[in-house]
Amino acid sequence: MDTKLLEFVGLLRQNGVRVSFAESMDTFNALDLVGLGSQRGVKDALRATLVKRAVDVPTYDTLFDLYFSGVGEIVKNAEGRSMDALDMDPSAYQEMLDELARFLEEQGIEPSELTQALLQQDRARLERLLRAAAERAGVQRIERTFQEGQFSQGMQQALGVGDVAQELQMISQALGEGEPDARRQQMGRFVDRRLQELQEMIRRLVRGELEQRDVGQRDAARMQALAEKSFYYLSEDEIRRMKEAVTKLAARLKNVLAVKRRTSRKGKFDVKDTLRKNLQYGGVPFKIRFDRRKRVKPQVVVLCDVSDSVRNVSRFMLQFVYSLQDLYSKVRSFIFVSDIGEITKLFEENEIHQALDQAIRGNVINVYAHSDFGRAFKMFHRDHLASITRHTTVIVLGDARNNYNLPHEWVLKEIRQRAKQLIWLNPENRMTWGFGDSEMDRYMPYCDVVEECRNLNQLYRVVDRMVIG
Amino acid sequence: MFASIEDVIARFAGQQYICNRTIATVVFLASRLRKPILVEGPAGVGKTELAKVLAGALGNELIRLQCYEGLDESKALYEWEYAKQLLYTQILKDKIGEVIAGTQGLKEAVERVASQDDVFFSERFIVPRPLLRAITSATPSVLLIDEIDKADTEFEAFLLEVLSDFQVSVPELGTIKAKHVPLVVLTSNNAREMSDALKRRCLHLYIDFPDREQERAIILLKVPGVAERLADEVVGAVQAIRKLDLKKTPSISETLDWTRALTILNVDTLDAALVDDTLATILKYEGDIRKAQQELKDHVAKARAKAAAPAAANAPEKDVLH
Repeated sequence: MDTKLLEFVGLLRQNGVRVSFAESMDTFNALDLVGLGSQRGVKDALRATLVKRAVDVPTYDTLFDLYFSGVGEIVKNAEGRSMDALDMDPSAYQEMLDELARFLEEQGIEPSELTQALLQQDRARLERLLRAAAERAGVQRIERTFQEGQFSQGMQQALGVGDVAQELQMISQALGEGEPDARRQQMGRFVDRRLQELQEMIRRLVRGELEQRDVGQRDAARMQALAEKSFYYLSEDEIRRMKEAVTKLAARLKNVLAVKRRTSRKGKFDVKDTLRKNLQYGGVPFKIRFDRRKRVKPQVVVLCDVSDSVRNVSRFMLQFVYSLQDLYSKVRSFIFVSDIGEITKLFEENEIHQALDQAIRGNVINVYAHSDFGRAFKMFHRDHLASITRHTTVIVLGDARNNYNLPHEWVLKEIRQRAKQLIWLNPENRMTWGFGDSEMDRYMPYCDVVEECRNLNQLYRVVDRMVIG
Repeated sequence: MFASIEDVIARFAGQQYICNRTIATVVFLASRLRKPILVEGPAGVGKTELAKVLAGALGNELIRLQCYEGLDESKALYEWEYAKQLLYTQILKDKIGEVIAGTQGLKEAVERVASQDDVFFSERFIVPRPLLRAITSATPSVLLIDEIDKADTEFEAFLLEVLSDFQVSVPELGTIKAKHVPLVVLTSNNAREMSDALKRRCLHLYIDFPDREQERAIILLKVPGVAERLADEVVGAVQAIRKLDLKKTPSISETLDWTRALTILNVDTLDAALVDDTLATILKYEGDIRKAQQELKDHVAKARAKAAAPAAANAPEKDVLH
């Protein structure tokens, strides 16, 4: 039992659940108290001692079921299938098994352990034999689907399936000798099925092991692949998953920042506050106060280009920014193609995804026009420049492809003078900046930070810097 | 002391708290292994309640420490009552004068005073905060540390130290060891991740929203006099609402509020208008209310149809006539 438990702990760790050594010690104590009788009890006890984060609970539950019930379930199901195939109920089934045992005795046939277990439907022994064979064949080393066949073969060899097949055939022949009555025929059918059943059990066991490996790794790998995928090339399905990924990422960032923000900087000795607080003690300074440097929450203004080429990126950028709303004191967002419109109200009134859909569909500005950054900037300057203060971070998201219109970069100059920082995010590859109608080289000098922003990882880095800075 | 997991369930039921087997198992383990329990879960699901019920079931005192940002050692462990000390000094000025009468020079005077200083730094002038109260408690107690995720990391480190040894050194009084190690329950709303060291020390319990049968049982227990049919309808409605994507999902405490409100209004069964009016008791955001209204209209209509179906089967003749 102990080795099994340690193996299970190893499996959990493999799938991303953090378990330390001390926790595995607690597990043994807990199991002593709860006893191994009820599976539910064991599951609860192990969960309480091994799983320390709420996010890991579903992974743990799946793995527990896969790992501990695995072989037992397989054997039980095989029995069920046999009974159904022969169209018998449990009591008739048992009768037949007993008769078969008597027959074998009469005939003087002494089958091997595995055959015996198969013919007697000795569940416990079958489980034990299967598990032992699985270990000998090293099935826990399986990692990929195409290895299933290989490990199945290995298990068959370890069990000695070839010998079993021969024995079963011999018995089947013995049953068919002479004039077989209905009973004998039934037993004959049962014996014939046994080999098939055994192979099926082996197959399922190997599959079960494979699934265990997969549970955590699959998700982690998928997340990683998604994070690297360029926003341009997303399929419908990936867009949906990207939405979830962005939400998760935002939650993670919030967590990190909540901790960072907590470390309040203790400043200098604050005379006024100390005196005020110690008036109750007659002015004797029992409690010393320091001035706490206040962390002002940044304000953010986002200008997103929503022309065809950049639409996907803008969408996720806005979603990310709005998921992190609580970390800013104020978020104002604008979209533009050739004219600019504010969409802050949409996010206040609607839920994120609806607001994004409405914004990008064209209710606010004309999304079918050709990009004209200069004109959009001029409009922004005319209507909204006054709202930018020295606490504001301004983010512009666009590919700077201006269709050879006037760039009006002086607007950026003025924005930068007023704001805390001006960040430009370009979803295009850095190599193409400045080529064709791209005005990046004109806009770049006026920005504090210019970043490439093509996939989720880059987006994360940018927002990380944006919120900390 | 709990005899078994069944004992836990029985005693909790005696305290009007319905718990499932998982909760009972963890509580049993914690009481036997003397390990703290870290309870996580959405708001309103019964985490704080669990600690209160645990204290009641064991017949122990409940000592509560509410955490918040900026909570520090002095507010959690103990504080000296400076005002009282000053006051006593003022009042006893004459007596103090007597004590140092006849001394030659400052040094001797200070020594004379120092030999008496344990008067002012004694248990008389210490204000025990929850942690010290739990340690010095003469009877076994249950210590509830509520919303530990709101406290900062320095406090967590300090708490870890206290929880590992259950002894405290007050420089003036010496080391105080706990006579009875209290049973500790920490609750967290998952606003942030706890430090690994703290989590390692505790048994972990995740309480999720209750399922249909459990919620129904809880309503029937906590709101006496509620019609069973109403309880069923309420549970059905709330379970349907929970499946929606809301800003704040209603939990069991909101369900109970709603049921109580409906009972006060003397309602037997739900209808669309009533639901609209009382939805504000379970949903706190405008956006959520709008989303739920639509969902519930369909739900109530369906429930109405299902209830009406057997009745309609009984009276087909009447319909033909009409």
